[in-house]
Amino acid sequence: MPAALFSSPAAAGALAASSWRCRLGVGGDRLLDTTAQAISIEGRRLSFSVASKHSAALPILKDCSLRVPAGQLWMLLGLNGCGKSTLLKVLAGLLKPTEGTLRVNKPKSFVFQNPDHQVVMPTVEADVAFGLGKFHLTPDEVKSRVSVALDAVGMLKYSQRPIQTLSGGQKQRVAIAGALAEACKVLLLDELTTFLDEYDQLGVIKAVKNCVSSNGEVAALWVTHRLEELKYADGAFYMEDGRIVTHGDVPSIIDFLKQKQANYIEHFNL
Amino acid sequence: MTATSLPLLLQRWPATTSPITTLKHFQRLSWKHSNSRVLLIAPTSIWTIAAQRRRAPARCCSSAAKDGDGEAPSWTAWIPRSFSLERVLKLISGATSSPIGQFIESPRTFLHSIDPRVKMVWLIALVVLPARSHIYMRIGLVLYLSFLSVLVLPARVWMDQLGRVAFLAGILFIMLGFGSDSVPPAVQLRTPPPSMIGLPDIPKSLAGYSYMIMKLGPFQLTRKGLSVASTSACLTFTIFQSASLCLTTTTPEQLASALWWFMYPLSFVGVSVDEVILTLLLSLRFINLVFDEVRNTALGIVARRICWQKLTFLETLDVFVMYVRRIFKNIFNHAEQISKAMIARGFRGDSSTHKIYLLSNSTFGLLDFVSLLCLLGLFGAAVLSERALI
Repeated sequence: MPAALFSSPAAAGALAASSWRCRLGVGGDRLLDTTAQAISIEGRRLSFSVASKHSAALPILKDCSLRVPAGQLWMLLGLNGCGKSTLLKVLAGLLKPTEGTLRVNKPKSFVFQNPDHQVVMPTVEADVAFGLGKFHLTPDEVKSRVSVALDAVGMLKYSQRPIQTLSGGQKQRVAIAGALAEACKVLLLDELTTFLDEYDQLGVIKAVKNCVSSNGEVAALWVTHRLEELKYADGAFYMEDGRIVTHGDVPSIIDFLKQKQANYIEHFNL
Repeated sequence: MTATSLPLLLQRWPATTSPITTLKHFQRLSWKHSNSRVLLIAPTSIWTIAAQRRRAPARCCSSAAKDGDGEAPSWTAWIPRSFSLERVLKLISGATSSPIGQFIESPRTFLHSIDPRVKMVWLIALVVLPARSHIYMRIGLVLYLSFLSVLVLPARVWMDQLGRVAFLAGILFIMLGFGSDSVPPAVQLRTPPPSMIGLPDIPKSLAGYSYMIMKLGPFQLTRKGLSVASTSACLTFTIFQSASLCLTTTTPEQLASALWWFMYPLSFVGVSVDEVILTLLLSLRFINLVFDEVRNTALGIVARRICWQKLTFLETLDVFVMYVRRIFKNIFNHAEQISKAMIARGFRGDSSTHKIYLLSNSTFGLLDFVSLLCLLGLFGAAVLSERALI
């Protein structure tokens, strides 16, 4: 049973006024008070817009509020184009929100959807070690971290392989190893398992889950379309048209999705 | 199978094949097509006419160059008749994703264990030596590199590498050997013969010396031509093959660390060595992305099964321009995404604050010492050969 996401509406203040309104009443009764729990990711009323061709602001994110406690893995669900990746980039600091406030624990790590965008060095171990350049580590410590991270994603035997000889799934695992090696407090993961088969998918999600639950300090936000991964999560957000329309623990999200499916079938008389 | 492809199939059948046999072949080959029955009952005479019609344009093209007796010269067969963008794109899309000379992790050989700094010294030596040594030394270097390649690389790799490099070196040897002295340059100084200026003629060599080695029609192989050709061909061979050997047995990080070691003194005069090394590593990664992008974009066009025969020249050109534009757009997009990824991974644009860990276990050992001794021996042999063998 996951710990709760939001604090009580009274304590949340303005945050509650926005996000509670969006929840559509799903899972609200399951939310517990977590004022005592450390929050790793917190966004309040986040909005993000881009300028369209006609100089008008095109909203991508609308009034999104979320919190992810430390030591938990949360998933971000939603249809294509609903703004999941944009929200993740805003949380990573790659995009500046138009409105709202944001607090994410550091160090944080971001894994892109396309591994070719993430992997920057020509060989496996050099790429995993790249992110460690910002820390002042000894070479032995770097080697140790790289080995442990590669082992966690089952890529230790490929440590000296050139990146271009790897498959898409293997590149994705290298990208994940790079994030794991940094031992960050926050992991922001954008559709990690898109290129992976079922076996690798399970290995990667277990590696992330272990990382999150090992010391209770790491929080992970995982964007996915694979609903079977929900069983490894502590909770989930569901987005539609740039808004977080609901959030809660896994059973409440599954109920919500089943309800949506039923409505869809009823709408089309299938 | 379409109606237009039938004549092409017919061409594969020998003239003696009976219609029944042909039909059997067709039944076996055309099982996938929904209209196969219609195609099978068509009289064979129509197929033959259709085949002749299809072959007619090709004949017209060749008839322009042939003489009156109706027989086309054999060299016309060498002219590519259907050069098309489609064929080029298919070739590109089918190319390997691995660049030439990429690192081969296994089988691990003694060359993998040699320090990358020693390998770089060897590389420089193999560039200098063919240019400054006797022809026997050059041939010896070529044989040595060939033997080393066979010994170290997997059979599939060395056969491919040596084949390409030997072909290139061979072409250079023939062109320079027969071309350097065969046609006198227009600005060559024309010295009058000794009889006209009253000087005694140069005595002929008693030891059988001859400047000209071989004559082949208008071409002649002289000593000067042989020297130029052997130097160029050997230099080409040693540069390409030694670089391939080095790349296949050394990781990019090892090479970068060796380069960093050699360049480090330059940092005292203000050269940003770290930035140079990081740029090198990023370039090595980006080259593969460019290759991938060129291949994938070509594959995307080929997969759309464009009917190229129906396109005009301008339309074909338009597709090609679109292809090039898409490649550049995707490459710039890749560059932007990689820069974002670098920022997300903590890089802030300063190579001195973001340390690049090159995890190469290169330590100077006994093998490296022996290797350097061999290199010194090679230098000594080159100097001796230059003085002893004239």
